[in-house]
Amino acid sequence: MPPALDEIVEELRDADRQERIELLIDMAKKLPPLPDRLAHFKDEAHRVPECQSPVFLVVEPEGNRVRLFADAPIEAPTVRGFVALLVEGLDGATAGEILGVPGDLIERTGMPEILGMLRVRGLHGVLSRLKIMVARAANASDAEARR
Amino acid sequence: MPATYAHPEVLVSADWVQEHLNDPKVRIVETDEDALLYSQGHVPGAVEIGWHLHLQDQLRRDYIDVPRFEALCSAAGIANDTTVVFYGDNSNWWACYALWAFKLFGHRDCRIMNGGYALWASQGRPMSKEVPSYPPTDYKVERADEAAIRAFRDDVLAHAKAGRPMIDVRSPDEYTGKKLHMEGYPQEGSLRGGHIPGARSVPWKRAINDDGTFKSPDQLRALYEGEIGLKPEDNVVAYCRIGERSSHTWFVLKYLLGFPKVRNYDGSWTEWGNLVRVPIATGEEPQRSDVIPDGGLQIPFANSGSWTISDRNLQPGICLRESVNSVSRSGSRSRSGLTIRHCIDREDAPCRLRWMKSSRS
Repeated sequence: MPPALDEIVEELRDADRQERIELLIDMAKKLPPLPDRLAHFKDEAHRVPECQSPVFLVVEPEGNRVRLFADAPIEAPTVRGFVALLVEGLDGATAGEILGVPGDLIERTGMPEILGMLRVRGLHGVLSRLKIMVARAANASDAEARR
Repeated sequence: MPATYAHPEVLVSADWVQEHLNDPKVRIVETDEDALLYSQGHVPGAVEIGWHLHLQDQLRRDYIDVPRFEALCSAAGIANDTTVVFYGDNSNWWACYALWAFKLFGHRDCRIMNGGYALWASQGRPMSKEVPSYPPTDYKVERADEAAIRAFRDDVLAHAKAGRPMIDVRSPDEYTGKKLHMEGYPQEGSLRGGHIPGARSVPWKRAINDDGTFKSPDQLRALYEGEIGLKPEDNVVAYCRIGERSSHTWFVLKYLLGFPKVRNYDGSWTEWGNLVRVPIATGEEPQRSDVIPDGGLQIPFANSGSWTISDRNLQPGICLRESVNSVSRSGSRSRSGLTIRHCIDREDAPCRLRWMKSSRS
């Protein structure tokens, strides 16, 4: 895992229940807004279909790194907090690093303890959607480079 | 005079709540889908009751028992005569679920704040992050009446066999069987898709406006009594996937429309869709309700199965192939289907026709 993500996961894991809630709410609050130039990407192609709330992810290859942007509603702090965690931990990582994020990331943060088993899987949709988008973007830029 | 809800007192406005924030006889309770929302800010003085964490038994699939409910109320400063006002996110999904759970234990005065969390927040009303604490009470469950509002699978099986009305409040894709789980909730899947035969599809959200408030009494009546053909005296079962969305519809039918006999089947599709050998129907069509339009109502025949027409004023379950003339004075049949041009009931009055394909084996 990229060190930035590792650090957040560790912080969450070591926190108690209440601190964990505070940390996530804090992260949700700090999610940077989608830059104006990307505002038009709030469309179906960038929406995470597994989420009930409107959650949008935008990835932009920049050299061998990936820039990551996201939008999620304020009144859905759980998914917004998780999206913010991904942005904070993975913005600027390589495609390989993002694709290598472990599938049990959510369990590692201790979030299931807050959310309950039933609801935690929704967040997995965000992570898998991100990986799909990054893989696609990486393939596209490889094809571009070969041309 | 505009029509009112059957029990208007169960629905309070945000204004009412704001006026009663410091009323010791009133306890505001937030119950959310999003586990972090309460901590991010809530109606000042509101306590959080989690649908999963507080109301459900963590081991068995059931609700907490009486002593634990009493302890929960006591800790929240709720006494037997406290007015409990529920609100939450997702247009009061979970607020209605919590209200239903409180009614399982017979709590007398339960209400919903119309519009829920979203409306309160959007109107810029006061928010607090402070978690309040109230002096404990000596809450005692007086008369729990679970059977009146909760249906179990055997009840539902008997209900379906008797042809009594059921409302499936899930999304159309879940109802038809296209999806085995709700969008975003893959953990709540089932082995079979579809719905309980005879259930009508009325997604729960049809009862609310865009701002999360409930639709007007006239609109709700037009939907459930007009379009769906329910009658207030009907014995109705509502279900969804785990019983939360159907609590919302249960609340609408029970309190806003005043149907005395409505039960929530909390086992819902996660139970039914996994049960061995219970009847299941798939597809969009199982039932439609239509007044006969000009030019007649077209009912296509499928290659197999028979069609059943029923109306509350007709004898139930008349098989079309045998007794078409008893429901339709003028209908025509072709190989591909049947057109009904006119429908009258036993008193010779034009009637609404309910028809369904019998897809049960």
